[in-house]
Amino acid sequence: MKTYLGSMLVVVMLLASACVMPVTPAPAPAQPTAAPAAPIKIGVIYNLTGAQASLDAPSANGAKLAAKEINAAGGVLGRQLELVLYDGKTDAATIGNAATQLVESDKVVAMMGFSDTDMTLAAAPIAAKAGIVFVTSGATSPKLPEQVPDYLFMACFGDNVQAAAGAEYAYNTLQAKTAYLLIDKGMEYTLLLGKYFKERFTELGGEIVLEDTYQTGDKDFSAQITKLKGLATIPDILFISSGPDDVGTIVKQFRDAGLDKPIVGGDGYDTPLLVQIAGKGADNTYFTTHSLMDPELGTEAVKKFIAAYQAEYNTPPENAFAGLGYDTVKLLADAIRRAGSDDPKAIREALSQTKDLPGVTGTITFQPGSRIPQKGVTVILVKDGKFTLAAEVVPQKVPAP
Amino acid sequence: MAAKEQAGQASRLASWGSALVLIALVIGGLVATELVASAYIQRVVIGLGISIILVVSLNLSNGFTGVFSLGHIGFMAIGAYTAAILTLPISLKQVNLPDLPSWLARVELPFLPATLIGGVVALLIAFLVGLSLMRLSGPYVSVATMGFLVIVQVILINWDRMTRGARTFSGVPPYTTLWWVWGWVALTVYVVSRLARSAYGRQMIAARDNEIAAQALGINVTRARLLAFCISAFFTAVAGSLWAHFITSFSPKAFYFAQTFSVITMLVVGGMGSVSGSIIGTAIITLLSEALRNAERGMNLGLIHIPPVYGASQILMAVIFVLVIIFWPKGLLGDRELNLGRLFIKRRREVS
Repeated sequence: MKTYLGSMLVVVMLLASACVMPVTPAPAPAQPTAAPAAPIKIGVIYNLTGAQASLDAPSANGAKLAAKEINAAGGVLGRQLELVLYDGKTDAATIGNAATQLVESDKVVAMMGFSDTDMTLAAAPIAAKAGIVFVTSGATSPKLPEQVPDYLFMACFGDNVQAAAGAEYAYNTLQAKTAYLLIDKGMEYTLLLGKYFKERFTELGGEIVLEDTYQTGDKDFSAQITKLKGLATIPDILFISSGPDDVGTIVKQFRDAGLDKPIVGGDGYDTPLLVQIAGKGADNTYFTTHSLMDPELGTEAVKKFIAAYQAEYNTPPENAFAGLGYDTVKLLADAIRRAGSDDPKAIREALSQTKDLPGVTGTITFQPGSRIPQKGVTVILVKDGKFTLAAEVVPQKVPAP
Repeated sequence: MAAKEQAGQASRLASWGSALVLIALVIGGLVATELVASAYIQRVVIGLGISIILVVSLNLSNGFTGVFSLGHIGFMAIGAYTAAILTLPISLKQVNLPDLPSWLARVELPFLPATLIGGVVALLIAFLVGLSLMRLSGPYVSVATMGFLVIVQVILINWDRMTRGARTFSGVPPYTTLWWVWGWVALTVYVVSRLARSAYGRQMIAARDNEIAAQALGINVTRARLLAFCISAFFTAVAGSLWAHFITSFSPKAFYFAQTFSVITMLVVGGMGSVSGSIIGTAIITLLSEALRNAERGMNLGLIHIPPVYGASQILMAVIFVLVIIFWPKGLLGDRELNLGRLFIKRRREVS
């Protein structure tokens, strides 16, 4: 008994010391060419494991690719760019810890990461408190910047922008005067997207004939379908605000029920799952996203990015989030270059004055006072099971966040 | 006889003495953490304290009464949302929660009363739910409590005007400090360990070990379980409030299966039915996963360079969990308590 308890105590103490010891992680592998000055450190947190991994892992790969390209071209201000990468594990407490480590032990000059509002809000206030900017690559809630004043920037468009683009495209190009609206109540993203679409579509003169909801992870949509088919005339378009995990199932069930009107959605549709699950049913689906990741149909920047990504990771970019991670590093590097120093204050100042910076996911400009970039929105049409470019849209009017 | 009494007295003295030493060590450690340690270490220690409250209070239900609850994180959610709604600054309430009932919209409470109210709300709900659920035992009660967790989740997502639904609840003031957390840890550990040794605690343990025999002895099994369930719900909700004011922005999905299983892992590793076991299990899991999280980022060991392997920490933790289950099926301490006093005087008693 005594030895048992004694050994227990020893184990606990060892663990405690083990926890304290590796707090300062070993330095990254030495740069192949000895850089004259210390590298400029950028803190990167992505959820490489857990529920967010399907969006965040490609983002992290994109970010690493961008840093590699920048360093191969001589770095920034003559110094190498070093990404200090942490896994957030899709856990708010872990993310808070990692952000604190980035500020405290790694002494980074800027931070970036995440494709989710909760996760961004777990890290960004810690960066802000230390006077460091946090750029989110893929969290699209336009309410984010006001929640962390001065220091939270977005590298992607806000949901209000893509919803407005979708509404204008549906009203003007698809000639839709009536719409059906289905919203996933389980996610901030789908709630906001649906709300902004409704605002812009009704403002244009369109009418939402029927509104319905479901819950993330639902598998059976027959109740919603029955309600929709009970209408005297089926609306011109079906706007379905859904996340990547459910979209395939929904589209398939709606098509199987004989509903062949165009389905319209947001960047949650930008996943291979849409065509894999819905099959032929995915045709005649329009959605807004950051860019068309296609080696033949994409823009020049996209083609170059896909080739580089393929060479580096032996797989084409999984989705547009890879491009967003890539663009975010380029955005920060550009700000550091224009700031002329790695002083966090100067970086923030330069970042807010970013103008016409070309990227894989569009050109980034921050209007004075706004930390959400003005970016074009790509509208994609699914045709014969393939994503094709329908339009590049800059919405004429955007609902307030 | 006299020698035995002496030994007994010495044992008690040693027990008290070692308890004092332990308390002094913990306080000393906390002061040192507050004064010298980095903000990162402070965060880990705060997170550890919150987990200890969660696990020790869960142990009261799962360990001592044998009601293996899978729904306690629901109480954590209730505590977190109740307290956060109460402490949210009024100006932010108008922006974030414009549809609050007017009597709530004009309230802005300090941390302590908000936390207490969160705990009491959870306690009342636990009482209502427990009235029927505590009649069940074994796997039935586990499934039923899990049902409770799902219900709480669905309510949080759909009660927009109170919780913002699935949208992030943000702007919660960061009130949680080292001292708040560890003060609540002390209170939780004190209440639970005193309760476990009281007549009620004995009833709970008897009801756990043999329900029929306990009933034959005249123990009201449902009442004993209900008491444990309500008290543990209270402290779980307190931990929820501390967590909410530590993380400051969250949404309902933070209080679901992932969190449930993380707490149950800590409980099972430490040993169900042992307060000290819960604390040790929590400390081991928390510190080990932090250490592994730092280690998985790769390191240089002299000539050998280990590349980063993200996710390795979770795999290793799972392997350790399996090993613990194989070699210590009842957890590291089982249902024994770590008694420091016994450590010191054991030899003498053996002699007598």
